Amino acid sequence: MFSDFDWDVILRSLPYLFFDGMRFTLMLTALATAGGIVIGTLLALMRLSSFAPFSIVAGGYVNLMRSMPLVLVIFWIYFLVPYIGQWVTGASRPIQVGALVTCLVTFTIFEAAYFCEIMRAGIQSIPRGQTEAAKAIGMTYWQTMGDVILPQAFRNMIPVLLTQTIVLFQDTSLVYVISVTDFLGAASKIAQRDGRLVEMYLFAAVVYFIVSLGASIMVRRLQRRVAIVR
Amino acid sequence: MIEIDNVSKWYLDFQVLKGCSTNVAKGEVVIVCGPSGSGKSTLIKCVNGLEPFQKGNITVDGISVGDVKTNLPKLRARVGMVFQHFELFPHMSVLQNLTIGQIKVLGRDEEESRVRAFKLLDRVGLHEFADKFPGNLSGGQQQRVAIARALAMDPIAMLFDEPTSALDPEMINEVLDVMVALAKDGMTMMVVTHEMGFARSVANRVIFMDRGEIVEDAKKDDFFGKPRSERAQLFLSKILHH
Repeated sequence: MFSDFDWDVILRSLPYLFFDGMRFTLMLTALATAGGIVIGTLLALMRLSSFAPFSIVAGGYVNLMRSMPLVLVIFWIYFLVPYIGQWVTGASRPIQVGALVTCLVTFTIFEAAYFCEIMRAGIQSIPRGQTEAAKAIGMTYWQTMGDVILPQAFRNMIPVLLTQTIVLFQDTSLVYVISVTDFLGAASKIAQRDGRLVEMYLFAAVVYFIVSLGASIMVRRLQRRVAIVR
Repeated sequence: MIEIDNVSKWYLDFQVLKGCSTNVAKGEVVIVCGPSGSGKSTLIKCVNGLEPFQKGNITVDGISVGDVKTNLPKLRARVGMVFQHFELFPHMSVLQNLTIGQIKVLGRDEEESRVRAFKLLDRVGLHEFADKFPGNLSGGQQQRVAIARALAMDPIAMLFDEPTSALDPEMINEVLDVMVALAKDGMTMMVVTHEMGFARSVANRVIFMDRGEIVEDAKKDDFFGKPRSERAQLFLSKILHH
């Protein structure tokens, strides 16, 4: 049955698929992970704060994001942010933000909610005595967090954080809804142009599988290396 | 040095400290003992503000711990504390455990803090363990490092919260030896412990607590000779039985 297939189309489109498509997918994954972890960690600190307004705001945000489909958030940011920008800056017309910025902002703030919950679990997994010990030698809140609690929480959570990144890597394909070309989008375009849907979608599936599986094997290896001996 | 005046503390409705008053003079070694749940750990953690209290007043070297205007981190940097479960930072080497406070809190430079750290590691007999991680040390060794970490800040007083309770019996003495030497050097110490042998050899005073109250606060010889309260007598007869 494979005799009708034209595998050559894959070879011909490789540069486009990887230099245009995959590069964007990886860039979005990397930037959204980095931004998501930073914002997520701050959200986690707010959520765990004994100052009620902080924990309420952060908790509300996380629950809101986690109960929304990602596609909806992409639409919202894409169509709403121009108007918010207009309102904030007082401009006469909606501010154009572009699809790329939309993708970055959306994935960062959306993933931040998930990374927040991971970091919160990580922080709570560190015994209370560690905080007491850090405070007892005179460390401030930020020193305690920055030098003692977060490094340990982060290391404990590296496997979970990276697993979330792998999920994010797959989710970035949703950018097709605002016509941004990621890896899957590129494959899709070729597929429809050349009428080679089965070949291209099969190839795309294989690539996603290899990257995701490879990454999770690396996560397992890393996990053994970074574990803290207690 | 440490004045505790009529301190009370509640967890919701439950009162854990009931009007506790005592003091520790400079160079004095005061033992706090009592049955578990009597509030002794809570009391000692109030001294450096790790536990808040709702009533009364504690001053350390003239500075009020309960005052909201007090810079607690600054005060804590001057009061060393040793915990039941050591609480060394497991992601740092022994040396880093000893230098981080000196560098980040006291603002010493790296070289100066290393010199100080090695001096203290010598003192607790763990010089060659500087590059090891806490997880690779025995409990007794970890607790000695924890004492060195507290001393690295050049504290004016030391608080010990059951420093030997989590140790295997054969490791208790190596930690007590360090503490005895410290006491003989004139360090002001407040020690929550059940080690009555240690109390006998170095304490100036013994405080006995029960159900959140200071029941007995007596000179060492009076306490071991003829405790006035029935509860203290009962407690002593239980732990000195063997």
